[in-house]
Amino acid sequence: MIRHLLAVSTAAALLAAAACSKPAAAPAAPVHPNLSGTWLRPLRDTGVGGLPEVKDLPLTPWAAAKFKAERPAAGENQDFPNTTDPSLKYADPNGYPRISLHPMRFKLIQTDDYVYQLWEYNQNWRQIALNVPQDPDPALTWYGNAIGTWEGDTLVVDSIGYKDSTWLDARGLPHTQDLHLVERIHRVGENLAFDITFEDPGAFTKPWTAHLIFRPSPDGSMTENIYTISDELRFRERFLNQKVNIPIRR
Amino acid sequence: MRRSVFRIVLGAVAACLVSASALAHHGAASLYDMGKETTLKVTVTEYVWTNPHVEVGVSTSGGPTTELLLELGSPPNIRNRGWTSRTVKAGDVVTVTFHPGLRGAKIGVVVKLVTPDGKELRS
Repeated sequence: MIRHLLAVSTAAALLAAAACSKPAAAPAAPVHPNLSGTWLRPLRDTGVGGLPEVKDLPLTPWAAAKFKAERPAAGENQDFPNTTDPSLKYADPNGYPRISLHPMRFKLIQTDDYVYQLWEYNQNWRQIALNVPQDPDPALTWYGNAIGTWEGDTLVVDSIGYKDSTWLDARGLPHTQDLHLVERIHRVGENLAFDITFEDPGAFTKPWTAHLIFRPSPDGSMTENIYTISDELRFRERFLNQKVNIPIRR
Repeated sequence: MRRSVFRIVLGAVAACLVSASALAHHGAASLYDMGKETTLKVTVTEYVWTNPHVEVGVSTSGGPTTELLLELGSPPNIRNRGWTSRTVKAGDVVTVTFHPGLRGAKIGVVVKLVTPDGKELRS
C-alpha cells in the first residue's frame, strides 16, 4: 500500500515537473499606440502659421540675412508677383516640415518596420525606418533620411540629409544641409502631436522646438492635389496678367 | 446675457474663419484689398476645380463672358469647407462676397458664396 502511494505520488510529481518544465512563452512584444489614420491641420491654420514667430527664433547672422532677402508669397514680407519661393517659382517639393503646415490631410500608415507619412499636398510621402541606426552620411533629399524608435507611447523620429534649397515654412525660414530634426510624435486625446526640435548650427545659434497639433480627419479619403508649374503659370497669367514664356496648359 | 456672449463668441469664430481663408491664398495681400468686401449677385460663367486655387468666373451683366475672375482656396482646403467640383456651374445665379483686386484689377478672392439653392459656403 505504501509502495503504491509512493508510486502514485512520484508519478504526480513527475507530471507536475513536466508541466513546469515546458518552454516559457516568448515575452510579449511591446504594445505601441497605433498612430495610423488620416490627420488634418486645424482649419484656422493658414499654412503660414505653425512654427514660432521669426523674431523669437535664434537665427544666425547668415539665416537672418537670407530670411530678409527672400520674397515669400505669404506672411508679412510677401511679394507674390516677384516671389523667390522655390515651391512656387519652380514647383519644387515643399520639404519638411513645411509640407505638414498646409491645412490639408496626411495619412500615417504604421507597420512593424516602417511608418509611412503620405501627404495630400502633391502626393508627396516619406518613410520612417524603425529600429535601425541612422545613416551617418545619407544622400541629400527633399524629405530627409528618417529613422524612428519607440519611447513608451512616443515615436521618436531622427532625421538628417535634407537638401538646403527648401524653406522650413512659407515665410522663407532657411536651413542648411546640416539640419537635424528630432520629432516626438504622440497622441494627445484624440489628436496627434508632433514636437519637433530643430538643430542646425549654420542657421540657428541653439536648438528650438515647434509644437504642431493635428486632428483626426472626418473621413479617410484623400484628394488628388498635385500642383505643377503649369498650374502656377496659368494662375499668374489669369490673375496677375503676367506674360509667361512657355505655352501653358488650359 | 448668455445669448449675447454666444453671439460674441460666434462672431469671433466667424472672423477667424474669414481671416484664415483670406490668408490661405498665396499672395493675397499682394493682389487684393483685404480690408474691403464687395457683395454682388452674379451669373457664373466658369467654375474650374484646379490648383493652386479653384477659379470662378462671373458676369455681372448676365452674359456668358467672364467679366470678373474670382479665386477660392485650393481643392482639398475648400473641400474641408463643404465645396465640391460640382458646387456651381456656368449659368448659375449666385450671390458672392469677395475682396476686390487692387488697382482696379477685375479679380477677387471669395469670402463666401450663396448657391442658387440658398446654401452659404465660405472659401
